[in-house]
Amino acid sequence: MDGTAPSQLRALVTPERVHRSVYTDPALFELEMARIWGRAWIYVGHESQVKSPGDFFSTRIGRQPVVMVRHSDGSVRVLYNRCGHRGAMVVAEESGHADAFTCCYHGWRYDTDGRLLSVPLPDGYGDGFDLSDPALGMVPVARAASYRGFVFASLAADGPDLKAFLGHMATSLDDLVDRAPDGAIALDAGMHRYVYRGNWKLQVENVLDSYHVPFSHASTVNRKGEQFSRREGDRTGAKVVAQKKTSDAWKGRRSYVTGPGHGWTSNTALDDGKRSSPSFDAYRKTLADKVGAARADEILTPQYHNSMIYPNISIMGLNMHVRVIKPLAVDLTEVTIYPVRLLGAPDEFNSRNIRLLNVTHSAASFVQTDDLEAFRRAQEGLQSQQSDWVDISRGLGEERPDTKYNAVGELATHEMAVRAQYQAWAEYMGRTG
Amino acid sequence: MPDVDREPFELFLILEARLLDGRRFRDWRDLFTEDGYYWVPAAPGQESPEDSASLFYDDRELMQTRIDRLEHPRIHIQTPPSRTVHLVSNVTVEAADEASGEYTVASNMMMTEYRLGRQRLFAGRQTHALVRAGNGFRIRSKRVDLINCDSAFEAMAVPI
Repeated sequence: MDGTAPSQLRALVTPERVHRSVYTDPALFELEMARIWGRAWIYVGHESQVKSPGDFFSTRIGRQPVVMVRHSDGSVRVLYNRCGHRGAMVVAEESGHADAFTCCYHGWRYDTDGRLLSVPLPDGYGDGFDLSDPALGMVPVARAASYRGFVFASLAADGPDLKAFLGHMATSLDDLVDRAPDGAIALDAGMHRYVYRGNWKLQVENVLDSYHVPFSHASTVNRKGEQFSRREGDRTGAKVVAQKKTSDAWKGRRSYVTGPGHGWTSNTALDDGKRSSPSFDAYRKTLADKVGAARADEILTPQYHNSMIYPNISIMGLNMHVRVIKPLAVDLTEVTIYPVRLLGAPDEFNSRNIRLLNVTHSAASFVQTDDLEAFRRAQEGLQSQQSDWVDISRGLGEERPDTKYNAVGELATHEMAVRAQYQAWAEYMGRTG
Repeated sequence: MPDVDREPFELFLILEARLLDGRRFRDWRDLFTEDGYYWVPAAPGQESPEDSASLFYDDRELMQTRIDRLEHPRIHIQTPPSRTVHLVSNVTVEAADEASGEYTVASNMMMTEYRLGRQRLFAGRQTHALVRAGNGFRIRSKRVDLINCDSAFEAMAVPI
């Protein structure tokens, strides 16, 4: 990278290409932590992970250690996970329950809203020492808000509110949550975690990249060109390949972009209408009993294959899960995948979703592992001086405004969604204020 | 602990591991009974594979899909393939029903995997439910509890 002036940063992204340093330069990664991860609404966790007062879940926003906790008043707080005294991380466990947080170093004790409750040997401090000084507490992050159980936080005091940030993407969360007969989901069925030696944006690009599937995931396709079933009640999976070429059904998929880097891929053509199995039929009936048959049909006609709320959360509607992306270093990324449990749905139906997700997205799965190999090789290849540029021009100029969704649409096998992510990247990075 | 000679069980586990290290995945699958399953939990002490995520939870049919993929020429994560070596030790027969020929065998395992210049180590405790079949055994279930089962893993392609 030659410099960090706004014009220089914006010049790293053009309509049809991205400079390789965007993936490889540690200085740019540092700047991303401040300008993207320090500004955007970042998905932190789900309310179902902190059901009762005192329940906590610790994670990171960018590289900032934070803890999401349900306070005694029932509200969910997001606090910096740092002792107000000498800076030690207070909460060491990933999740659990605590009536108060106590730092392991000198024993400073905090309420679940971050207020400092007590310090050992208080006599040692002068008269000016005030337990109620917020700076001595575990400080809440600048903003936290939730939408249908999904808790987001922003480290920036200013900026659009969560509703404005999500925009149309809120309907992607609705699309998932509305499938639950009780109108709520839980992310309490364990998790898959994988790590790869590559930049975080490789994963972010990949979730809306339908171009890679027929080739990269060839080993998941049978002789008829169909992938194995990934959704309960389907007899087979998507038709990906026909006569050794990408199938017409696959080529016809569409993607859409909206807001700052967000986007989604439309429904995969599957057995809709014929979808049936004992557990799916039982689930459909439970849902219809709750919301009525017409509304159930509407809910069960998927709008989304998957979606990406830039920069760190992806929702998959096909085999239902929430994917959370955590950058660790410029060339190291951790991803956590939570199976979605639809509250009110028959256990057998939820269980089938959980089991199908092992097959597609565990660190030992059939689908995800080939992506991880591609990410690793991309990071290595981008060290090459052969070219300083990555090409993302596929389908450039074919984007069309879509009035139904107030978005821009294009063929999903094109690279519009990737281009939109880098336009958002350049906008975040090129803004100093 | 039942008074059973552990040697045939130990030998069976050693031969099972040899099939995995030799990438004889079909022969490995054939060790399982028709209703057999292979389970690697993703959380310590996980009680069930039905209500929580697992690293592996394969019945015979899923094992076959996995093996078809392992044999596919375009499995990128196995190009080049992993080389593995298993060590199986501390074998004990935890339960034995000689009448029905059903046994529960516990052991410790380590698998060292090498691929593309990197070597990594998996370690854990295994529990096999075995059924006597002729002079040998078949596997009704195999559970591997890796000590780091809830950590973030780089991609895994071969069964543990």
